[in-house]
Amino acid sequence: MTTTTEEPINEPVPAQPVIDVRSVSKWFGNVVAVNDVTLQVFPGITGLLGPNGAGKTTILHLMAGLASCSDGSVTILGEPVRDNPAMYQRVGVMSEHEAVYGFYTGRQFVEFAARMQNLKPVKEPVDRAIEMVALADAQDRAVGTYSRGMRQRIRLAAAMVHDPDVLILDEPLNGTDPRQRIEFHETMVRIAEQGKTILISSHILEEVETLATRILLMVSGKLAAAGDFRAIRAKLDEQAYKVRVVTDSPRAMAAALVGMEEVDSVSVGPEEGELIALSRNVNALQLSIPRLAQEHGIRLLRVEPMDESLESIFSYVVER
Amino acid sequence: MVPVFWLSMRQLTGRWRVILITLLAALPVGLAVIVHFAASDDESFDENFIDVLLDGMLVAGIMPIVTMALSTASFGNELEDRALSFLTLRPIARWRIAIPKLLASIAISGPLLIASGVIAALLGFDGSVKAAVAVGVAVLVGVIAYAAIFTWAGLVTSRPLVFALIYVFLWEGVISSFINGVNYLSIRGYTLGIMHGINESEFQVLSERAIEFPAAIVGAVAVTLVFTFLGVRRLRRMDVP
Repeated sequence: MTTTTEEPINEPVPAQPVIDVRSVSKWFGNVVAVNDVTLQVFPGITGLLGPNGAGKTTILHLMAGLASCSDGSVTILGEPVRDNPAMYQRVGVMSEHEAVYGFYTGRQFVEFAARMQNLKPVKEPVDRAIEMVALADAQDRAVGTYSRGMRQRIRLAAAMVHDPDVLILDEPLNGTDPRQRIEFHETMVRIAEQGKTILISSHILEEVETLATRILLMVSGKLAAAGDFRAIRAKLDEQAYKVRVVTDSPRAMAAALVGMEEVDSVSVGPEEGELIALSRNVNALQLSIPRLAQEHGIRLLRVEPMDESLESIFSYVVER
Repeated sequence: MVPVFWLSMRQLTGRWRVILITLLAALPVGLAVIVHFAASDDESFDENFIDVLLDGMLVAGIMPIVTMALSTASFGNELEDRALSFLTLRPIARWRIAIPKLLASIAISGPLLIASGVIAALLGFDGSVKAAVAVGVAVLVGVIAYAAIFTWAGLVTSRPLVFALIYVFLWEGVISSFINGVNYLSIRGYTLGIMHGINESEFQVLSERAIEFPAAIVGAVAVTLVFTFLGVRRLRRMDVP
């Protein structure tokens, strides 16, 4: 799918990329936000992952034509993205921080987007877009009264109202609840099945895990890894995670933990009663600890993962 | 262009902004009513009326302030709210975003300020329609030129109000009062030049400082075109947050 700077995980790719980013850099004064990134995006759902500050929003802005590249080039569907408004007939973008016009009702907001897309008549596409984000019941309420999740969805409707071939969505799941995420996933899968291209950014790995088949990992402005999601996930799963356990009986707890299959090693931490357990199956470990404590009559004071952040995961990928 | 125009009209007509600019625009009328009844027999009435009320208060003060409040906000607020990307991510040329926004700020400030100037002129010049027309046309031209400058300012600086206040009070207010040549590069100078050019007899008091009528027209048109062009160009080239 892409060219990477570190140990790429390749997969068979179609000939023509829909989004083609070539040697792109973007700097603001002395700060390099995106550093020599080359990647391609093909039809289907691609996740753009990275911790906050990794350069995801900047690269999406460059792809969307909102910002100019300091170096390199971006094309979508073979056309340059900068100063090319006609491109937005086929591209829909939902940026992360974009505000909504609170005085419009949800329907008026999507209608406005439809008019800006030169759609005539607007009724049918507006109905379809609102239906797609399941906001038909709230469409006549002012957007200013919407919850954050509802605003995200009405913005998504506005981005999709013209049925674009390419959808670029920056953190679209911010503020949405689990039910809305499921609906969002279903919507995206439906759209992707029509042969469209969807690029979704997120700083939460699990958010994209079930959705995207291909991912792009960005760390510190660089593309750290790219390719099939499962292959990258398998690599991540090779990493042992640290879990901190604080208890009133550290010796007994350490003995119990060492006997567990999921635990690679246990060490004593600096705090009184603190243990650091290394595990490749951190979820199973966290579920087992309370059971172990109960069985051995140990009082648990704290159980917490120490390095579950994306940053640590990505650092691991980059360092390999 | 029509959807952007109506969107901008709605954005710019927030309750407090409308109340504030309406009160400001009403000030010259209120003052004109007072002086009409209190001091219109005074020998130097016409001179003082033009100097203090029309030039000092309306042209040099209220007209730029009201236009500034609207025009700097037309893009300034969108940039602050990060709402501009919603417009620029659509398949329309950037000038079709910039021009309606400019027109919206003119459509709100223009009628208010023209009405203010015309009513004040009718009161100050004992119902002279010619004087009222001169003030109305001059204010319209001034509003359009100011709107072009301040709309551009809203795009190039994150502090457009500071820029606009410095420009209005330093350049238009202080410097143009002391240096005659600056009137050729001043919206206030163009406005007074047009006022005087349309009605020389009743605005004779301006003859020493008003620039020539053709120069005023050319200057105002040039400023409007240049800053509109710069605004559109800026919108095309800028990184939209």
